[in-house]
Amino acid sequence: MRNLWLLLQRNAFTLAFIALMAVSLSVLLRNDGAARSSWFKQTGAISYMIDHQRHGWSNYLRLAEQNAELAEENAELRSRLLSMDMATEWVEDTVRHWTVRSGMLIKGPDGKPRSPSIATPGLDGGIEAGMGVLSGGAAFGTVEEVGEAHCRILTLMHSGTSWSCRIGRHGPVASLGWDGMDMGLLQLRDVPRHVQAQRGDSIFTSGYDLRFPADVMMGTVFDVDRHTGADFMSVSVVPAADFKSSRHLDFLVHQADSERTALSSTELQP
Amino acid sequence: MIVVRILLLVFFQAFFLRDVSPLGEWTRPEWTLWALLLIPPQANSFLKLTLGFAMGVGLDIAMGSYGHHMFAGTVLGGLLPALHRLFAPREGYEISDHPILRDMGSSWLVGLTFSAALIYHLALMLVSNWYWHLIPGALLPTLTSAVFTTLCCLVLHLMVYAPDRRKSSS
Repeated sequence: MRNLWLLLQRNAFTLAFIALMAVSLSVLLRNDGAARSSWFKQTGAISYMIDHQRHGWSNYLRLAEQNAELAEENAELRSRLLSMDMATEWVEDTVRHWTVRSGMLIKGPDGKPRSPSIATPGLDGGIEAGMGVLSGGAAFGTVEEVGEAHCRILTLMHSGTSWSCRIGRHGPVASLGWDGMDMGLLQLRDVPRHVQAQRGDSIFTSGYDLRFPADVMMGTVFDVDRHTGADFMSVSVVPAADFKSSRHLDFLVHQADSERTALSSTELQP
Repeated sequence: MIVVRILLLVFFQAFFLRDVSPLGEWTRPEWTLWALLLIPPQANSFLKLTLGFAMGVGLDIAMGSYGHHMFAGTVLGGLLPALHRLFAPREGYEISDHPILRDMGSSWLVGLTFSAALIYHLALMLVSNWYWHLIPGALLPTLTSAVFTTLCCLVLHLMVYAPDRRKSSS
């Protein structure tokens, strides 16, 4: 406080000069229109320049914070996009002769490698072995055996089977299966090393196994690992269907199924 | 005495001498400056600043130019101590020195008067024009007005402190 007082005393004349100048300028600006407009023009430009500079510095200093906010927002949008992709609705495809019958899952996969899943209806609902099964518009499995009122479903979460699929709608065909380890991840097999695949790519059914039409959502690429020296890469896939909480199922029925079965049987081959 | 002199010159400039401008804007004298220049160089800086400000206030009130002379007077009052230091003799000012021809000499008087007039007119020019693009055109009339003000102040000085009066008094 004493130092401040000494500083004020030392610069008293300058302070008095500045104070009287301020009084003069305020009287001048209050009474002279041209002076006022010019003053505001000049000071406005200067204050804009200072504010612009300050804004630039503050933005630069906030870059890290903004970056973190954007990353968070990006992650949220990505997850929302992913859930939107998964919430696809299967629409009956009468052009390609595919219709659906609804059913209910009464026992789902429990995480064991070869656990069966049971659903209704069975023969009484027109269900036949070999039909594709959807859950929430995504591939869920196929009917393995049919009883009078129930059927057994071989789901994607069964380590004893594999599914023909495609990376993207026009990508190469590969085989999708489960290694029986993690219920949240499927594995793409026989994917050549040169194939372009990256995290977030969609996996669709190829339609080659006759159980599903082409382009039914199966999952999304989670991780791609190209091992040094290996011809094939390992790709893990997050399934689109929710195997832990699925209830309603759609059984896919092809209207010319007997004809397809006959043509694809080995008896007709030379 | 200084205050009375300033008040008198403000009065005369505002009511009698304001139209004494033979070449219009090229020769606009500021008679009151002479009163300010008669402040002794040894006087307190605050006194010079305050009287400069007060002279401006007086002129503004008398002439209806709100703020212009107040600003110019404050600038001159603030810079007057520096001007006195600048024109100070090598050995400094004597306690008995008065800012008149007899004590300080003609070069000191002319130099100080012209410098003060130039500062005052420049400050007036700045607050009269304000816009930068108008200032170059106003510089020459400012300079000639400063010269004319210097002449007017010297005439007043010679009238009041005439050399023959000095001789008779001494």
